[in-house]
Parts: sequence; structure tokens; C-alpha cells
Amino acid sequence: MKNKQKMTRYMMPYLAGCFLLGLVVSCDSFVDVAQPNSQLTSAAVFTDYNTASAAMKDVFAKMRDVGLMTGRPVGLSHLAGVYTDELVSYQTSATSAYPFYSNALTATHSYVQDLWNSAYSQIYAANAVLEGVSHSSVLTQVQKNQLTGEALFARALLHSYLVGVYGACPYITTTDYQQNVSVSRLPKAQVYGLCISDLEEAADLLPENYIGSMRSRPNKFAAKALLARLYLYNGQWAEASNEASAVINQTGLYVWEADLNKVFLKACTGTIWQFSPAGTTGNTQEGALFVFNAGPPPVVALSPDLYNAFETGDLRRTSWIRTITSGVNTWHHAYKYKQGSGNVATTEHSIVLRLAEQYLIRAEARARQGELSNAKQDLDFIRANAGLAGTTAVTQAEIIEAVIKERRVELFTEFGHRFFDLQRTGKLDAVLTPVKVGWNSDDSLWPVPQSELLINPNLLPQNAGY
Amino acid sequence: MNKISLFKGKQVIRYAFFIWVYLFCLASYALPKGSKRAFSGQLLAISQTMQQLITGIVTDANGVLPGVTVSIKGKPTSTITDDKGQFSIAAAEGDTLVFTYVGYTTVAVAVSVDSVVNVTMQEDATTLKEVTVNAGYYTVKEKERTGSISKISSKDIEKQPVLNVLAAMQGRMAGVDITQTTGMPGGGFDIRIRGLNSLRAIGNAPMYIIDGVPFSSDAIGNAQTSTNLPTTTSPLNALNPNDIESIEVLKDADATAIYGSRGANGVVLITTKKGKAGKTQFSASATTATGQVTRMVDLLSTAEYIAMREQAFANDGITNYPSNAYDVNGTWDRDRYTDWQKELTGGTAQMTTLQASVSGGSAQTNFLMGANASTQGTVFPGDFRYKKGGAHVNVGHEGEDKRFKMAFSGSYDVQDNDQPSRDLTRVSRNLAPNAPALYDADGNLNWENSTWENPLAALKAKALAKTNSFVANTTLSYKLPYGFTAKGSFGFTDLKHEESRSNPSTVYDPVYAATAQTSSIYVNATNRRSWIAEPQLQYQRALGKAKVDVLAGGTFQNQVTDRLVQLASGFSSNSLLYNLASASNLRALSDDEIRYRYQAFFGRLNVSWDERYIVNLTGRRDGSSRFGPGKRFANFGAIGAAWLFSEAKLLQRKMKFLSFGKLRASYGITGNDQIGDYQYLDTYQSATGLYDGSVGLMPIRLFNPNFSWETNVKLETALELGFLQDRIFATASWYNNRSSNQLVGMPLPSTTGFLTMQTNLDATVENTGLELTLRTVNVQGKDFGWTTNFNISFMKNRLVSFPGLASSSYRNQYVIGESINIQKLYHLTGVNPQTGVYEFEDVNGDGVITFADDAQTVKDLSPEYFGGLQNQIRYKRFQLDFLFQFVKQLNWNAVSQYSPPGAFGNQPASANGGWQQAGDISNVQVYTTGANGAAATAYSRYALSDAAISDASFIRLKNIALTYTVPTYLKGLQCRLNIQAQNLLTFTAYQDGDPEFRSFNYLPPMRVISLGVDVKL
Repeated sequence: MKNKQKMTRYMMPYLAGCFLLGLVVSCDSFVDVAQPNSQLTSAAVFTDYNTASAAMKDVFAKMRDVGLMTGRPVGLSHLAGVYTDELVSYQTSATSAYPFYSNALTATHSYVQDLWNSAYSQIYAANAVLEGVSHSSVLTQVQKNQLTGEALFARALLHSYLVGVYGACPYITTTDYQQNVSVSRLPKAQVYGLCISDLEEAADLLPENYIGSMRSRPNKFAAKALLARLYLYNGQWAEASNEASAVINQTGLYVWEADLNKVFLKACTGTIWQFSPAGTTGNTQEGALFVFNAGPPPVVALSPDLYNAFETGDLRRTSWIRTITSGVNTWHHAYKYKQGSGNVATTEHSIVLRLAEQYLIRAEARARQGELSNAKQDLDFIRANAGLAGTTAVTQAEIIEAVIKERRVELFTEFGHRFFDLQRTGKLDAVLTPVKVGWNSDDSLWPVPQSELLINPNLLPQNAGY
Repeated sequence: MNKISLFKGKQVIRYAFFIWVYLFCLASYALPKGSKRAFSGQLLAISQTMQQLITGIVTDANGVLPGVTVSIKGKPTSTITDDKGQFSIAAAEGDTLVFTYVGYTTVAVAVSVDSVVNVTMQEDATTLKEVTVNAGYYTVKEKERTGSISKISSKDIEKQPVLNVLAAMQGRMAGVDITQTTGMPGGGFDIRIRGLNSLRAIGNAPMYIIDGVPFSSDAIGNAQTSTNLPTTTSPLNALNPNDIESIEVLKDADATAIYGSRGANGVVLITTKKGKAGKTQFSASATTATGQVTRMVDLLSTAEYIAMREQAFANDGITNYPSNAYDVNGTWDRDRYTDWQKELTGGTAQMTTLQASVSGGSAQTNFLMGANASTQGTVFPGDFRYKKGGAHVNVGHEGEDKRFKMAFSGSYDVQDNDQPSRDLTRVSRNLAPNAPALYDADGNLNWENSTWENPLAALKAKALAKTNSFVANTTLSYKLPYGFTAKGSFGFTDLKHEESRSNPSTVYDPVYAATAQTSSIYVNATNRRSWIAEPQLQYQRALGKAKVDVLAGGTFQNQVTDRLVQLASGFSSNSLLYNLASASNLRALSDDEIRYRYQAFFGRLNVSWDERYIVNLTGRRDGSSRFGPGKRFANFGAIGAAWLFSEAKLLQRKMKFLSFGKLRASYGITGNDQIGDYQYLDTYQSATGLYDGSVGLMPIRLFNPNFSWETNVKLETALELGFLQDRIFATASWYNNRSSNQLVGMPLPSTTGFLTMQTNLDATVENTGLELTLRTVNVQGKDFGWTTNFNISFMKNRLVSFPGLASSSYRNQYVIGESINIQKLYHLTGVNPQTGVYEFEDVNGDGVITFADDAQTVKDLSPEYFGGLQNQIRYKRFQLDFLFQFVKQLNWNAVSQYSPPGAFGNQPASANGGWQQAGDISNVQVYTTGANGAAATAYSRYALSDAAISDASFIRLKNIALTYTVPTYLKGLQCRLNIQAQNLLTFTAYQDGDPEFRSFNYLPPMRVISLGVDVKL
């Protein structure tokens, strides 16, 4: 009896000790948790073509949905339209888009920041694809070429819009944050140069034929079409002309659509690259933004200035513009895309690159090089299709002027062409001062976001006027 | 990967099994031995002098008092009074009977020849130091505690007409700063215990523990479905304040280090109500209340508004009003006036609460069962409801030999919230005062020829939320020989939350002819389940004057959160909106399973000498799945000590007025792992939109696997003094907490692709503060009693060090030596009399105003001090409780929330008197419709200048409650009537709404007045 009691007395601390020891050992692996089922490691993504391709697709999906290239009200088609003489805003002055219309942007404006952020976020994703693909030992060379080409194309495209609205900007080519954290802004010409070299490489790597459906993945000629545009913007006329020709000459792939009402349908053969839609039904975000059935317009309508810029008899004015009347008021809205919001069957995709622009690029590039008759030929091709007689322009300056005017009525409400054309030809002040109350010469660029300058002073100085 | 996780799952079961084996081995080995010892003890007691049976009844002012412990001084014998207040106990002549009951003065009666002893006990407001305080893994007597713990009990909670636990704590606890983030039912509160420790805004939440079970406060809502709240839905709303017996807040290292990595921001311990031994008691209460918005913003009248607009157009040189300037161009009636705040948020919300409970028990077993239901209406126009109900069960049992103990508590709470998806507060403050009527002559929504968006249309889009929450805990303990006790605590939580936000086509102007095809709905379903097992072993021993209390234990916790967010659109009819199968488009936006595993072992060693010197050592080793391999484990610990100097003989003789004196101090390290899960992985996840027929993959973060725990070193010293039998009781505590190895999402320029990256920053944040509390029993009589409680907390937050701040991305946010809750601001120098635009100090004199160089004025938005003054006055059958809450602080004013005056949309009254022509001296700059770029830029700086910050100090009659105890002639029946009010009066110089409130364009807190009746039998 007593023995047992004594034993217990000795045993207790041991038992207690064992208890504690038991807790100490054995436990480490308890806190290992499996990787979440909704995530894939970066390395795993690039060991399979489908997941690698999904990573690339999402870059395009993000371009379509957020940032400069979206057809939503936060994108360039709307904001650059109201910023210039294309669109009139009917939103109240308290809305975020209004300072674009009143040309009263500030460096703390949320859209100024969001557009910058989303562009660089998309560029990061493109660079991640470039790096993931280059390290992959599983993907075939063909697959690698295609994904690399697409990523370079996306990177160049995004930078080209950034440099357009913000002016000098950093050109990001890596995912390494330690480098990207303190980058500096590069002069506009240098950014275009980097875009062009990326696109040249992309054009070499991308296949001639479209993969995927409905021309939603860029091919070699999408890269060349964009190259043509950037050579033009960069004043490299011969190259611009050549690249445009390279696209136009692909007559097997690109068949001119003469019916204006079919140019913006998803199966149009004049489309070089278009975004794939976000859903299985529904149509473009541009359609949802611009189309309205009763006045006053919910967001925007075409400016009377633009409406009056069409020559008499221009079929585009009747095919691509719709007039809404309510009482004494009339409004015009862009009607390139006929489908507004609503979950109806998809007939239209958002078109980024199309054949008509290539003709106009070549017309201008030829004119700038003095190939006046060839230039007129391209210009008249576009005009004829709109039911107009050949241009009356004769001199080089007149022809260039005519091309710019033609671009205005051909490419309106498509990703801010008007803004970039006036900007690169130095006509912003002359054209906009009379029609925009708030316009001043510092408005040729948007401000770099305040938050960005605060975090990275290498981005200083701010654009003039902000 | 999956294979491994399955294997891990099995391991959990294995661990649980081992723990049980330990416990049972210990228990069964000791069982026969122990019961024999107890038996021999009893024999010894009886073999003394001649015993007689003493009987009697114990009463208090209100009648019989069940559950009073009756013991004999110096002997182990004791009993408790039954439901009629009766007791019987065997005692010898010369013995002293001691009657004790929590909250009452102890009564001692010497046993004489008389075998009947009737006792009337007095409620004692000064026995605070005898009260036991819950410290989580252990309890400690108030007077013996070495740590810093604040407490409120059900007595305070019951007097407040609130539905949220945190609301009941406001103003009552030193060092605990609580602000309401929205008045919308289902919205949340911000709680900061001793200031901000982490540079991460979301890393400052305390740990919540309900009856021993950790309750995650991580949001359960989704940004797409919680659109009417400033932050996504918090799970804390599930807790029912009426089920709570006490809330203890652990603040210093001594109290929190036993929670290791999760103790840095303090620990909130919630203990639910339990049954008491004695007569079975039924209680029921019913309350009806009304609520209204506390304060509105002072806005422009129509005349002032139109004058501003006209001036703005004139200033901008626009002579013909544009066609979309409906407010001034004659489209709208230029004389019409509507007080939109009153119209859209000025309603009265009706509220009712019903609850009932039954409780009771014997010396061995006690139980409590309760149920409650409440509804709360809305201040918005329309029929919106927040309903809440729940049931709570608590059962305790103790073996006859007092060795085995078990306790079970379980709560099931249901919330059903039906609210508009948009808070109308913002629009009510921005709509032009001459905007058109809400309804047309036929009673339909008026769209005024599509010239405005009728704000009531937004109410057709609803945010519905249903939350079911279950929390259960079982504690088993067994007393082993030689002072050992084996314990096991096992808890389980299950939270189901379904939230939706609809956007039916009816919210749009009918001219758009939107059909149900455009209707859409976001649906979020979040489930969170967790279990926790905590085996513990305690050793208590008295060796002469020394007492030793040792505790060792382990924690195994597993939490899984599932979240599915879906978007459905394209319906054939709006009446099918809540049927996902009827949608022509259905997309899962996210489908996540988040696993969190946590494991620790902890210990406590408490030694006291002569009840005068106490040393308390606590420690914990923690592992968390939130960190990458190799970074998962860390050690935390603290030492606390207390000296009860009033026990010294000399003091007791010389300073009789000093009834209690204690000096205590603590020092230790706690940690913080609030960084979200899986942050150390380099991963892609599914995106939300389709492309080319399939869903894309997106990179989700910049990869950094090497971050680790944030550590928080806490130091505290405190003095506690009681005078005149503790009728005056004062405490003063000073603390200094330093958080380092800051775990932050380091802000990056977006050229890196992301805005932040998770990393440890070698920065130190210090919180220093002084907390004073004073409790005085001013009058204590039979008919009249008056007690006062006062608390005040002074605090100072300081960024001590931040190597490389000047070149880091934080330099515009922080300043060394200043609080981390500062805002750097431009300094407004006034309106330029020539140009009419705001001008700011050009600090570096370079002629250009830039934020980095010229926003050098620093304003600290943390409260400088805050506190509460609470009084309780009892006169006969009346009792009056009131609490004044006071806060000294700065807050953003309305300036930061508006566009430049002159644009389309109302303005705060402070926008009156804009500059008009050269030479004008004005406080308000030139009005502009938006066309004046210089004015727009100046205004954007103005909104980030010192002019956008105002003094928002306030004194608020937070709570007042008058209770009347109705005389009843039925024995045992108690009936009380009460009238209570929350946020009744506010004294403040702040002009722009509720001064407490920091989420400007959301519904402010409500002023609630309630009437209730409370019956006990």
C-alpha cells in the first residue's frame, strides 16, 4: 500500500514530463498544410501547355476588362474620346470620368492611377509568361515560340498606350521587383524603339495562322500591324509602309469587307486581332457603353463636331452612327457595335486591329515619303468604300491632312486614335482650344499618378502642368 | 501534394488519440488511490467535538438568496443554500459559520446553542478584488493577478440596447479603443487594444476566445456582396451580447504571452452565462426600441447651392448653361428644396428584442438554457430588416468527490439580414438640393425625363445575408493526487454565411428598357469550421507559506474556410433572381479552400509567498501554417510579478485607511501572425473572366517565402490602491509596447506589377500609455447607493526606427518619431486674393508644390486620450446607470469627401462664400464647374491639407439606463421595468456628422432609445 503510494509520488513528475515531452516532439508536421486547391505554383503552370496558355490568355482578358484598352467607361475609347473632340459627356461633374471631359485631371485622380497600375500589372503578367516559358523544359519549341511571341506583343502594345497618354514612361522587361522598384522614365522615342524591337521579335516567333477561335490570339500579322502603327508614330515612314503592306498583302487571310454594317461583326475577315468576349453570351463593352435608346444619354454621345466632320454622303455616318431624338433634342451615338448591354447571343467582339487602319497608315507613310499617288490610292480606297469620291488633296501637306481627317471619321471611338493623331501631329492645342473650355497646352499628356512618384522618385519630374 | 495532405489528416487523428491516452492513463492510474484519501479525510473531520445540525434561511434585500456558500471557519465542511435560501450544516458550539456569496459582504456568525441561524446579506460593491478573473487558461483572483486585465460583466452589458458585443464595451475599458464603422445592421466595429502595433492596417485585430474556443474575426463577407459596408462582413456579429456573462480583455505581456503569436494585439475572452446552484430560475425580458441617425452633415440650402452654381459658371466664363446642367439650366425647378439626408436616411428604425432563459442546479450540476430573438428595422425609406436569434446551453457537472469536473457550453446564433445593397448616405449628402421629387403624381418612381438617377431605385438592389454560427466547447478535468489536475478542452466552431447582392433590371431608368436579361446577382457562400484540442496538466501545491501553481499544455487547432463566390446574370424574370438555375450565365468568380493549422505548447509557473509576493512565468512555443517551411516556429514568454504591500504588518498597523495596495510589473514577448494564409507560396490562380472559351490563370503575388513572425515586446508597471475598505479603489498602469520585425505588405510602385509585397521590415513601432481607473462607492445605504467608475487612457504611438525610411516607399506615409496613424498634409496658407485658388506652403521653396516635398504638416489621427465616466445610483426601487464616453481626437472633415465647390452636387455648408473677384479675401476658393484646372488641382491638394482635418473630440452620453423594480406580492417574483438609451447626447465642435465615425459616407451610428420589461421567477 505504502509502496504504491510512494511509487505514485515518484511517478507523477515522470508522467507529467512524458506528457510535456509528447507535446514537444511529433508536432512539427502538424502545421504543414497542403497547397490550396485553387492555386497552382508558378513552376507547375509552365509544365503544361494548357496552363501556360491560360496564363497568357489572362493577360489578354485583363486588357479587355481593366485598364487603357477596356471598352468599359474606364478605358481609352471613352476617356480619350471625352478628353478630345470626339465625345460629349452627359455624366454629372461629380463622376470620376468628368475631369477627363473638363480637361481638369489631377495626379491623384483614381482613374489616372488605376490605368497606370493595371497596365503595369498586365505587363508583369506578360513578363511572367516570358520567364516561365523560357525556363520550361516541357513545352515544345513551337509552343514556346507562340507564347513568347504573344507575351512580347502584349508587352509592346501596353507600353505603346502608356507612352501615348503619360509620355515618357518606364519599359518593364522583367518580373524582378528589385529592378522594377526604382525604374526611370524613358523618352518617348526610346519606348517606341523598345516596342518595335519586341514586336519584330514577336513577328518572327508568332505563327502566320490564327490559333484559337475568332482571331482572339494574335498572329504574326497582328504583330506586323502594330509594328506599322508604331513605325508611323515614330516617324519611320518606310518601315511603316512596308509593315502595312505586309499585312494588306495577305489577301488570303484578310479579305476586305465592303459592307460597313459587317465590319464590326465577330467574323469580319478584315479583322486582324480582336478580344475574345468574357462570357458565353453578351456583346462588347463598347456597345454597352455607347449605345442608348432614349435621351438624354446615360454616359456619352458623339460630339456635334465629330458628327459634322463627316462629308455629305459618307455612308459611315449612317451606318456607324445612330441618331436619337427626344422632343427638340437629338443626340448621336457610336453605332459601330450595334449590340448594347444584355445577355443576347454574341455577334460582336471588341476589335483592336483592323485592315482599314493599315490602309490609312500606309497612305500617310507613303505621303510622308512623297509617294503621293500611292498615298492617294490608299486613301481613296477607304473613301470609296464609304461612298465618297476620291480626295481633292493634291500637295503632300494636303494629302497628309486628308489622311488625318479620314482617320478621324474612320477610327472614331476606337482606343483613342483621335487623341494620339492630334498629339503626334502637334495639333492638340490648335484643334481643341476653340472647342474645349478647360483645354490648355499642358493637357497633351496625363499626369503620372502621384502615388507612383511618391514611391519611386526616379519617375520625377511630373508632366508639365500637374 | 494531395497525397501528403491526406497523410496529414490522419496525423491529426493520431495526435488527438495520443492526447486522450495521456489523459486517461493519468486519470485511471490515480483514481482508486484518490478516492480513499478523500474518505479518510472525512472521517477525521467527524471525530471531533459534539456536532449539532444548524439550519436557517439566507436572504438579501430582494428576498431569499439561493446558492450562498455556508462553511465552517477552519474546517473543510461546507454546503450551499437551496432554492428557498435554506441550508443545514453540522457544526459544533464555538464554530464560526461563514456565509459567502459573490458580490455580497461575507457574514460570519458564531454557533451558539441556538440551532437556527437566519442571515441577511448585504450587496457589497467593494469586493471587487475578491472576484475571480478569467485569464484564459487559468483563473486568478483579482487581488492576486499579476497581469493587466480589464473586465465588464453582464450587469453592464444588459443595460445597453445593442446587438453587437463590441458596442457594449465602448467607453468602459481603459486602453480599449472601439469605434463603430457603420450604423448599418450587420456592420462592424474597429477595436484597438493599446494602439496600433502593426504597420499593416489589418494586422491590429485582437484574438477572440469564446469559452476557450478561438473565434476567428477574419472577414466572411466578399467585396462584391458586402457593398453596403465599409469593410466586408465580420463574423463577430454572430455573438449575442445577452448570452455573455463577462468579457475580459488581456492587455500586457503577463496576460497575453500565454497566447504567444496571437497575443500581440491583446486577447478578448468572452465567457457565456452559466447556471447557478439553487432554485430553478425562469427569466424573460422584452424590449422595444427606436433608432435614428445620431448626427447629419450641415449642407447648402437650395438658394445657397444655386448661387454657388451660377457663380461657378460665371467664373468659368460659361454663359450658356450646358444641356446637362439640369440643376441650373431650368430643367429642374430652381427653387425646390429637399433635405435629402432627412429624406433618405432620416427614418426611424424600430427594434424589438425578446429573450427567455431557465437556469438552476444543485451543488454538483448546474445548467442554463436561453433563447433570444431580435429584429431591427431601418432608417432608409423601405422595408428592410435585420433579424437575429439564438439559443445557448451551458451545463456543468462535478463528481461527488469533487475530482471530476466537466463543463459544456454551446451557442447557436442565426442572423438574417435584408438591407439595400447601397448605403444611401453618400447620395443623400451629394444630391443637389433642388433635385426632383422621388415619386411622380401616380406614385411611381420619378425619373424626371432621365435627368437623374432616382436614389430610391437603388433600394431595389438588395444585399441579403444569412449567417448561422455554432460554437461549442467541452472541458473535462480530473483532480489527481499530489496536487495534479489533468484537463482537456475541446472546442468546435461552425460558421455558415450566405450573402448575396442583387442588381435587378428595375434599378435602371425605364427608358433603357432593361429586361431581366440584364439582371444579375452576386452570391457568396462562406463556411468556416474549426476545431481545437488543448490537453493540459496543472499542479498546485502549498508548501508552508509558499503556493505553487504550474500549468502545462498543448494546442492543436485546425481551421478550414471555404468560399464560393458566383455571379449569375441573364434571367428570364426578376422573380427568378434568387434561383441560380434560372440564370443564362453563371460564373464562379472564386472557389477557395483556406486551411490554417496552428500548434503550440505552453506553460505557466506561478509562485506566491505569504499571499504577498507573486511571480508569474508564462511561455509558449508556436507553430503556424501561415509561414514558409523553416519559419514556422517561434518562442514567446513573459514574467509578471506582484507585491501586495498592504499585507505588510507595519502598513496594516500604521496606515489603516489603506485597505489594499499592490505593485505589479510584467515584461515579455508576444507575436503576430495576422497575415492571411499561403502568402509564402509563389502561385497562380484562376482569373474571373473567360478568354477564348476558357478561364485564364493569373499570378497573384510577388514571391517572398522568407518572412517570419512579428514580435511585440511588452512592458508594464502598475499600482493598485484601495482606501477605506476599498470604497475608493484606484489603479494606474503604465505600459510600453514595442513591435518589431514588422510583417508588412511593403508598398511598391506598380511598375513592379503589384502594389505590395509581403515582407518583414526592420522597423519598430512603440505604444506607450497610461491608464487610470478609479472606482468610488460614494454612498452605500439600504435605500440609497451611488458608485462611480472612471477610466481614462492616454496613449502615444511612435515609429521608433525604420532603417532606410527616407529611401523606402513608406517615406510619404511615416515620419520617425511620429505616430503610424499620421497623415502628411500640405499646409494651407489661404486663398490667393488675386487668383482665388487655394495656396499651400512651399516648404522646400522650389516654387513647385509637390506632395513629397511640401506635404510636411503631420496630423495624428489616433486619439490622444479617451475614457468613460460611469455612475450607478440606486434609490429604493430605482436604479440609474449612465456612462459618458469622451475622446480627444482629430478626424477628417467633409472637405476630403467632396469635389471642388461649384460642380454639380451639393456641398457642406462650409463651402459658402467662395472667392469672386480679385481682391476678395475668402476662406473658400473660386467656385468652378470643373473647367478651371488650377482650381481643381488646388482643391485636390486642399483635400490633402491641414484644412481637411478637424478637431473631432467629443463627450457623449453613451448609455443611460433607468430601472425600476416593481413591487410584487408573489414570493420570488421579480419584475423590473427599464428605459435605456444609447448615444443619447453628443457634445462636440465637429461639424460634419458623427465625430466618432471614420467612414464618412456610410450610415453613422444610431441613437437608440428603448423600453423594456424583465421578469424573473
